[in-house]
Amino acid sequence: MFSYTIKRFLMMIMTILIIATLTFILMHSIPGSPFNEERTTNETIQANLERFYKLDEPLPVQYMYYLKSIVTLDFGPSIKKPNETVNELLARGFPISFELGMVTILVAVISGVLLGTFAALRHNGIIDYFAMTFAVIGISVPSFVLATLLIQKLAVDYNIFPPATWSSPMHMVLPVLALATGPMAIIARLTRSSMLEVLTQDYIKMARAKGLSPFRIVARHALRNALMPVVTIMGTMLAGILTGTFVIEKIFAIPGMGKYFVESINNRDYPVIMGTTVFYSTILVFMLFVVDLVYGFLDPRIKLHKKEGDA
Amino acid sequence: MKKWLLLLLTAVFALVLTACTANNDAGEKPADKDGEDKETETAEEKVLYLNNGSEPTSFDPSVGFDAVSWNALNNLMEGLTRLGEDHQPVEATAEKIDVSEDGLTYTFHIREDAKWSNGDAVTAKDFVYGWTRMLDPNTASPAAFLGYFIEGAEAFNTGEGKIEDVAMKAVDEKTFEVKLTAPTDAFLNIITNPSFFPINEKVATENAEWFTEAESFVGNGPFQLTSWEHDAKMVFEKNPEYWDADTVKLDKVEWAMVNDTNTEYQMYQANELDVSDVPSELAAELMDSEEVSIQDQAGTYFYRFNTTMEPFTNEKIRKAFATAVNQQEIVEFVTKNGEKPAHGFVSYGFQGPDGKEFRDTVGNLVEFNAEEAKKLLEEGMKEEGYDTLPTVTLTYSTSDTHQNIAVALQAQFKEALGVDVELANVEGSVFASEQKELKYQLSRSSFLHDYADPVNAIESFITGSSMNRTGWSNAEFDKLIADAKAETDAAARWQLLMDAEKVLMDEMPIFPIHFYNQVALQKPNVSGIVRHPVGYLDLKWVDKTNE
Repeated sequence: MFSYTIKRFLMMIMTILIIATLTFILMHSIPGSPFNEERTTNETIQANLERFYKLDEPLPVQYMYYLKSIVTLDFGPSIKKPNETVNELLARGFPISFELGMVTILVAVISGVLLGTFAALRHNGIIDYFAMTFAVIGISVPSFVLATLLIQKLAVDYNIFPPATWSSPMHMVLPVLALATGPMAIIARLTRSSMLEVLTQDYIKMARAKGLSPFRIVARHALRNALMPVVTIMGTMLAGILTGTFVIEKIFAIPGMGKYFVESINNRDYPVIMGTTVFYSTILVFMLFVVDLVYGFLDPRIKLHKKEGDA
Repeated sequence: MKKWLLLLLTAVFALVLTACTANNDAGEKPADKDGEDKETETAEEKVLYLNNGSEPTSFDPSVGFDAVSWNALNNLMEGLTRLGEDHQPVEATAEKIDVSEDGLTYTFHIREDAKWSNGDAVTAKDFVYGWTRMLDPNTASPAAFLGYFIEGAEAFNTGEGKIEDVAMKAVDEKTFEVKLTAPTDAFLNIITNPSFFPINEKVATENAEWFTEAESFVGNGPFQLTSWEHDAKMVFEKNPEYWDADTVKLDKVEWAMVNDTNTEYQMYQANELDVSDVPSELAAELMDSEEVSIQDQAGTYFYRFNTTMEPFTNEKIRKAFATAVNQQEIVEFVTKNGEKPAHGFVSYGFQGPDGKEFRDTVGNLVEFNAEEAKKLLEEGMKEEGYDTLPTVTLTYSTSDTHQNIAVALQAQFKEALGVDVELANVEGSVFASEQKELKYQLSRSSFLHDYADPVNAIESFITGSSMNRTGWSNAEFDKLIADAKAETDAAARWQLLMDAEKVLMDEMPIFPIHFYNQVALQKPNVSGIVRHPVGYLDLKWVDKTNE
């Protein structure tokens, strides 16, 4: 287990470095610069700005600064928001995105698993059809459509929830609903199909034969195995949702970090592009790593350390 | 193994709990505040709810050169002059302004009762400090070019001169003096710009980052910054130290930062905002609403020909394309935002010494005329010896509005000239850099004024200007602009500028589409929001009555 963890950890570092390097290359190969605006600033001023952000240095030198910024975890000041460093932007935006993401994931997982399980237990029954119709709608309706609809109906027409901004738990309801519906539907479908498969297995029959209560069979024996595919997709899903979703954050005016991904690229705000990419890939790679570890706990048949030890 | 699982679950649970508690804490404070607001509001407190779109880039007067910073900052600070309700500059922090006979030396006498929000007196030194900071090459202020009217400023800013040679000084505590390189009619207007705001020297030397948080921010405007949750919300309160505090009727301004027009509009409908933009999909529907306010904005939406690339090397072909454009149709059926069609480059909002609009005096310099267009195209093609016109590609930066206009132009060229123009769209930042490199034949553009004088717009097209981007160069035009800048007689200067615009539109390296405007939805109980054609949002005179 230990050597596996170490090995995976080193691979994580390598992956992040490769992503970081690719980002750097791509970033500098697209035309345009942070100071390219409709209103042209005077050339001397532009030169001053470039000198300030070290953009006048040759690319290899900039790359070295960049690597240094990754190692020291200090991405320097943003170009478009000169009074703030990238670290400050991330430190401010991430907790909010994380909070929204965590609540969303909880809602999505709990309701998705419940929905999927009930659908499987009542296979081809009314509940099943209802749940799966709901899931198909959930998957096919994009979150931003749902978001606009929710605001219009629940905030503007009926005035139950505030339409946007981020200040009280009431403000969380609409964005969480909009954001959780898609993942919930995916989880429900996955749970249902793997549950159906698991329920036909011999050991479930065995459990029934032993006379265990249906609840115990489902909760203790079936669900645990049925959740494997859910756990598999959770890694990417978590990384995506926790680091902020641009569209939902924009629609609900949530001050998370989602917008920095898109804005920084439009603005060619190099330090922010680098900061967000490295941050996102670190979280993504880390989540995948956690998922691999969780496999082992959920299914004792997957013995990571032995396999890796042999290799 | 189970223990591990339990541990992991506990860890996740704990994380969620902390996230939730963090939320509860963070959530309760504003919720409480809202409660307070509602209570006190009934006690006649006047709170205006606005949306700033996004987090201000910077409240450092020298740095944040954009509307999201300056619409707000304009109400927190004040320069020597301020634009009045009629958009003309009036004395503000300065009580009296003396101009020397040659129009070069300005002496500003600062009000005795001009105070900073922390109670300090506003002094001439604060202006020297603020302006020096803007011009300092190390600040890299994007607004520094506005200061080039001051003697020695350009040299200092470009690193060739010294600060001692910049002709501005604090004569005494309350007297500030500057000397210009040439008489500049627009000078009192230019210094209403936020980059010319004073900076409290004492505050700034103690804390170089004074402008980044509400706690440390010190202003001298009608309002003071009392709370600033970055990326989320700002609260302004009436500044009791402001010299003209009696005029200010609002008690508070709360700014949301909603960067989605539809959401903004929905919040407006839900009475969470008093002012909103008009979502473009609803423009046609809402334009006739009584809550819509339309104001001029000095600036032009136009297209650039590349005069170094065939077929637009030929003047007649350029004119053919320009006269094939029906501006009226575009504003009426395409943009549908209440804009005025543009038949010249300089927009409305500039009155000459005779009191007449620049635009009206010059008149229409380009108008739709399909027959004339066809004729010009034939003549042009003959001159160049073309049997068929080289392929023309029209390039625009990716956006729905730009695309709609581009498609309309494509149809108009086809209809009037029988020419099939190809369309290409390019991502914004790439577009900006490639346009400067003259890589496009025909491309969209826009100009918004930095200060309220026609020369600001027209001089874009002098030879070698970074705003030129057409490859066009005309000695007569360059001379007219140079003469206008040196001219001391206001009427003569005005005439030179009008002549320059005529030369420009005669050779037509560009053609205009429409002038900009500022459209907003505004609750009927709100009055007095001033939107200048050039300048920033002013809330000094705003009043809000209870519905």
